Amino acid sequence: MNHDPLQWGRPSDEHYGTYNKSIASASPYPSMHTQQPIVTGTSVISMKYKDGVIIAADRLGSYGSLLRFSDVERLFPVGRNTVVGISGDISDMQHLENLLDEMQTENNYDNEYAEDEEALKPSYVFEYLANVMYNRRSKMNPLWNALIVAGLEDGKPFLKYVNLLGVTYSAPSLATGFGAHLALPLLRKIVDSESDVKKTSAEDAEKSIKEAMKVLFYRDARSSRNYSIAIVDSKKGLVLNKDAVVEDMVWGFAKDIKGYGTQNV
Amino acid sequence: MAGLSFDNYQRNQFLAERSKTVPQATSTGTTIVGVKYDGGVLIAADTRSTQGPIVANKNCAKLHRISPKIWCAGAGTAADTEEVTKLIGSNLELHSMYASREPRVVSALQMLKQHLFKYQGHIGAYLIVAGADPTGTHLFSIHAHGSTDVGFYQSLGSGSLAAMAVLEANWRPDLKKEEAMQLASDAIEAGIWNDLGSGSNVDLCIMETGKDAEYLRNYRTPNVREAKQRSYKFPRGTTAVLSERVLDICQVEEETVDIELEA
Amino acid sequence: MATTVASEYSNEVKNTPIEHQFNPYSDNGGTILGIAGEDFAVLAGDTRHTTDYSINSRYEPKVFDCGDNILISANGFAADGNALVKRFQNSLKWYHFDHNDKKLSMRSAARNIQHLLYGKRFFPYYVHTIIAGLDEEGKGAVYSFDPVGSYEREQCRAGGAAASLIMPFLDNQVNFKNQYEPDSHGTKRKHVKFLTVEEVVQLVRDAFSSATERHIHVGDGVEILIVTKEGVRKEFFELKRD
Repeated sequence: MNHDPLQWGRPSDEHYGTYNKSIASASPYPSMHTQQPIVTGTSVISMKYKDGVIIAADRLGSYGSLLRFSDVERLFPVGRNTVVGISGDISDMQHLENLLDEMQTENNYDNEYAEDEEALKPSYVFEYLANVMYNRRSKMNPLWNALIVAGLEDGKPFLKYVNLLGVTYSAPSLATGFGAHLALPLLRKIVDSESDVKKTSAEDAEKSIKEAMKVLFYRDARSSRNYSIAIVDSKKGLVLNKDAVVEDMVWGFAKDIKGYGTQNV
Repeated sequence: MAGLSFDNYQRNQFLAERSKTVPQATSTGTTIVGVKYDGGVLIAADTRSTQGPIVANKNCAKLHRISPKIWCAGAGTAADTEEVTKLIGSNLELHSMYASREPRVVSALQMLKQHLFKYQGHIGAYLIVAGADPTGTHLFSIHAHGSTDVGFYQSLGSGSLAAMAVLEANWRPDLKKEEAMQLASDAIEAGIWNDLGSGSNVDLCIMETGKDAEYLRNYRTPNVREAKQRSYKFPRGTTAVLSERVLDICQVEEETVDIELEA
Repeated sequence: MATTVASEYSNEVKNTPIEHQFNPYSDNGGTILGIAGEDFAVLAGDTRHTTDYSINSRYEPKVFDCGDNILISANGFAADGNALVKRFQNSLKWYHFDHNDKKLSMRSAARNIQHLLYGKRFFPYYVHTIIAGLDEEGKGAVYSFDPVGSYEREQCRAGGAAASLIMPFLDNQVNFKNQYEPDSHGTKRKHVKFLTVEEVVQLVRDAFSSATERHIHVGDGVEILIVTKEGVRKEFFELKRD
C-alpha cells in the first residue's frame, strides 16, 4: 500500500510497477465540477404592483471588467404570463433558456389544453427552475446564476427568487446582485409589504423601476445604459420592451468638483 | 514614547496562529452620509454598533467634533474613528492657536489622511469630514488607507449603497437647509431599514458659515421599542442568598472632641 | 493562480491546482422556538430571510403545518430547510397512502426525520429542526434535532440565529430554572407548573421582540402556529424592521 494520500488505494509501484491509469480511465485529479462565472450579466430588478409585475435587466455581457457583449437579452417570456430574468454566468443562462424552451415544447406538444387549463403558470416555471438549481448545487456543479421569476397567477402578481445555491424567497420587490444593495432600498420605499402592493399603480411602479435602473447605471461599474423591461399586467398582458434607455441623468454638477481635497482650480 | 505601541504585535501574531479566533473589534457596521446645500453642509449617521451579529449598542454616537465648526462621521472600527478624530482634533486646536486663525476643514482633511496613510490602513477609520471655516463650507470623505474624495454628497459604511441610492435618486443642486436635512435623514433611514449593520436612530449635525454648528442628537427615532407583553419582576427572595459574609476591610473609629471656641 | 501541493509522503511536488471551492452552504438567519404545554404546543419563527448584511424578504414563513397536527420548521440554510420539509411532507403523504390514512404519531414523525437527516450524514442538511404537536396521550410535544439527526423530546427549545439569546430565558420562564420559593433560602425550587396558551404566546412574543433588539438577523415579523386537539391556529405579530 502506498501511503501517499494522493495515491491512496493504488498498488505499490515497487511490487506491481507503475500503475496504468488508463485501465480505469481514471483522471489523475478528483472530478472537478466547480467553476467560476466567465461572461456575466449584472442585476435583475423587479416589483409587484396592484395589477401585475414589472421586471428589468440591462443588456450588457461583461468579461471581467471588459465590456464584451453589449446586446444580450436577459429577460425570457415563458408562456403568456411569465417572465424569467437571469443574472450571472451567460453560458449557464443560455443553458437555462434551453431548459425553459424544452419545458414549453413538452407542455405544448399534443396538448389541446396547453393554452387554457394546462397553460404554464409562473409558480410551475419557478418550481421547475428552483429544483434545477438546488439539484445542481447538490451535485457540487452549480449553475452560476441568480434568477427572478415574475408573472401573473390567478389574477395575482407572482414574484420569486432563486440562486445558484437553490435558496428561494419571495417579496413585493426583488433584485439580484448589486441591485439587492442599490435598487431594493428605492423599490422598498414604494412596496415594502403586500399592503403597499394594492396601493401602487402601474405608472408609479414603472417610474420606480426606471429610477432604480438609472441609479444602477450611475453606480454599478458593470452596467449599461440600454436595458429591457417587461410588464405582466392583468389587462394588457405580457409586454416586453427590449430597447429601453436610461434617461434624465444629472451630470451638470460634476464640473464643479475639483481634485480630491485641497485643489480648487 | 510617542505614537502607538507595537509591544504586543509578535505575541498577538503567535496567538492568532495558535487559535481559530482572534479578538474582534467593535465595528460600527454603519450608515453615514454628508450633504452640501445652499449655504451650508450637514452630516448624519445611524446609531447601531455591532459585534458580529450582535447589537452592542442601540444608541451610540457616530458624529464626532473635531473643532466647534468641523464635525466628522465615522464608520469602520469604533475605537479608531474615536481616537483618530480626538487626536487630529487636539492637533488642529494647537495649530489654530499658534496661527491665531480659525481651524480649516482642509487642514483637518490633510492631517487625517497623512496620519491614516502612515498606518497603511491598519487604523480602520472611514470618515466623512465636513465643516464651515473662513473659506466656506466643505465636504470630504476619507478611507482608512488615506485616500480622500470631494463631492456634494457622500456616503460610507455597510449601508453606504442604500444611502447612496437615495442620494443619487433625490439629490439636486441648490437644496434648502430643510430639504437637505430631509434628504440626509432619508438616506440614513434607507441604511437603517435595508442594511443589517445599521439601525435605531438618526443623528444630524448642521454646519453653516458664521453660525454655531447645530448637533441634533436623535433627530429621528423611528425604532422605539413597544411595551413587553409580560412583567418579569421576581418576588423578593426568588434568588436565594446561600451564605453571607461581611469583611471589615478598614477599621472606623469614632471619637468626639470638644472644641473650645475662643471669642 | 498556479499553486502546487506537496505531500509529506513523497518528495515530488505535484502540479495539482488548488481549487477555489464552491461553497454549497449559506446562512439565511432567522430564529425558531417551540414550547409544549399541557394539552397544546406552539412552534414560532420570525419571518425575516437574510444573507450577510442584506434582508432578502421581510415575510418568508418557515414554520409549516404538515397535517396530522404536526408542525415543522428547519432553520439555518434555507434551501436545505425547504428540501427537508418537502421530503417530510412527501413521506407523510406516502405513509397515508400505504397505511390507509393512518395518523402519523409525533414519535414516528421524529424517528422519520432522524432518518431523513442521517441519510445525508456526509453532506448534511445545514439546519436546526424542531417539530411540535400532540403525543398519543394528547399532551404537548416538542422534538428537536441537530443537523445530522440526533434528537430528543423536550418541553421547550429555541433554534437558529438567536437560540443562545432565547434559550436561557426559556429555561428561566418555562422550567423556572434558578428560581426558588421566596423565604425558603434556596432550599425549595419554585414549583414547575404548565403555562396556559395565552401565557406561552406572551412569552414567545417577548422572546422574539427581545431577540430582534439584539440580533441583526432576527426581525420583521413573528408567526406563531398553535396546535390543540381542535387543530392548528396561526397568529402573526409585527417585529421591528431595522
